Amino acid sequence: MDRITIKGTSDGLIVYLGAGAWSRLMEELEAHLSQKASFFKGGRVALHVGPRRLTTPQLESVGELLIRHNVSLWAIESDSPSTQSAAAELGLEVSLSPRQVTDWTARILPQGNSLVIQRTLRSGQVINHPGHVVIIGDVNPGAEIRAGGSVVVWGRLRGMVHAGLGEEGIKAVVCALQFSPTQLRISSLIARSPAEDDSRDNLPEMASVQNNQIVAEAWQK
Amino acid sequence: MAATVITITSGKGGVGKTTTTANLSVALAAQGKKVVAIDADIGLRNLDVVLGLENRIVYDLVDVVEGVCRLRQAMIKDKRVNELYLIPAAQSRDKTAVTPQDMIELTDQLRDEFDFILIDSPAGIEQGFKNAIAPADRVLIVTTPEMSAVRDADRIIGLIESEEKGPGDLIINRLRIDMVRRGDMLGTDDVIDVLAINLIGIVPDDEAIIVSTNRGRPVTLENHSQAGQAFKNIARRVMGENVPFIKLEEDDTFFKRLSRKLGIRN
Repeated sequence: MDRITIKGTSDGLIVYLGAGAWSRLMEELEAHLSQKASFFKGGRVALHVGPRRLTTPQLESVGELLIRHNVSLWAIESDSPSTQSAAAELGLEVSLSPRQVTDWTARILPQGNSLVIQRTLRSGQVINHPGHVVIIGDVNPGAEIRAGGSVVVWGRLRGMVHAGLGEEGIKAVVCALQFSPTQLRISSLIARSPAEDDSRDNLPEMASVQNNQIVAEAWQK
Repeated sequence: MAATVITITSGKGGVGKTTTTANLSVALAAQGKKVVAIDADIGLRNLDVVLGLENRIVYDLVDVVEGVCRLRQAMIKDKRVNELYLIPAAQSRDKTAVTPQDMIELTDQLRDEFDFILIDSPAGIEQGFKNAIAPADRVLIVTTPEMSAVRDADRIIGLIESEEKGPGDLIINRLRIDMVRRGDMLGTDDVIDVLAINLIGIVPDDEAIIVSTNRGRPVTLENHSQAGQAFKNIARRVMGENVPFIKLEEDDTFFKRLSRKLGIRN
């Protein structure tokens, strides 16, 4: 039973999962949870899985297992990019140190609860995140981002973005270095790109809600 | 000798995966490499037809996996080139007859003996694709210069990345330079702009492909075909050579266009 290590931190519990078959580890985790039910109860847990590659369904099933024991899963720490993206799709944190955001970042994104993804989102890939989403890379046609807050794309935005799904609502903004989303939604409003307009394709733009309408403007200082 | 396993895939159907697999296999074998081509499109086998080996099939991939025959017995030797073998797909079964683990084990048995193992993936993103991608060391993604094919290629590249098989290399098939010039077809730059992966070959649209497919004689075996030359160049790039891209020119002069309009064959 020593393949599972549990540590307490100021951010809650961190469960380290070692090597071995995933199903076996899940049985052992369940045993830990039932034996020390009072210790875990009502707490929140971050899973440290090392280089292990996990799929979205696997992460979902861990989440369900924890919830059955009154524990909530809030973060997955992994070295594997595929595990990180699976976690991000479920809206889980992928870093255990969200409190180490510098003041500079905090000024731009007040809630601090943001997800930074440093790769290109390709067709069929979906990001769900309750906070802000920052993509360093392109968002290709067929990719989707659903964010509670704002969305910043440091690259070309050609996919679908739904921002402001959370409390921030219509205060959310969407911006990109090259702004041509297939469709753009902020809170309950929907807009689509004008059919063909090559003239403005290469300028950074920012979309926000003005007078109950989504308006995209050149991003200027 | 440790083989490189190369899977040829696309997402969308009909963009030329099988033609590419057949021609690359022949081109690599013609360069003196030992090559085995595996058709992973179980239930819709085609590679044997394109290679002209259909009438020699006795055993197939599923027979090997199920232990009905030995691996050697399912390998058909192509007599037109030196060291090229085909493992055909089963026609009467479906993709679930084979698992990704089966494919890994099968290719591991072949690795010591060959230089290249080429796997022709079925279209789609389901089990058949997963089988084809599981043993891959490298992935070649085939697309045509059409929005729908590029969109599917993008999806496939995402899946390949999440399997940690690298982004792969891109082949743009069936490019018509005259249409690109007129602005009626996506150009190479437009495709690369979206997919942002390494381009390993551009194959011009060539009627000779259809003729060769029907005859079961890959164009790479002919000397004068533009598409055949493109596949030969891709094969050399796969082998690590630095081959410059052919400048695709319209072979159409004004007089050729005129004579075609007038219905004169040339």
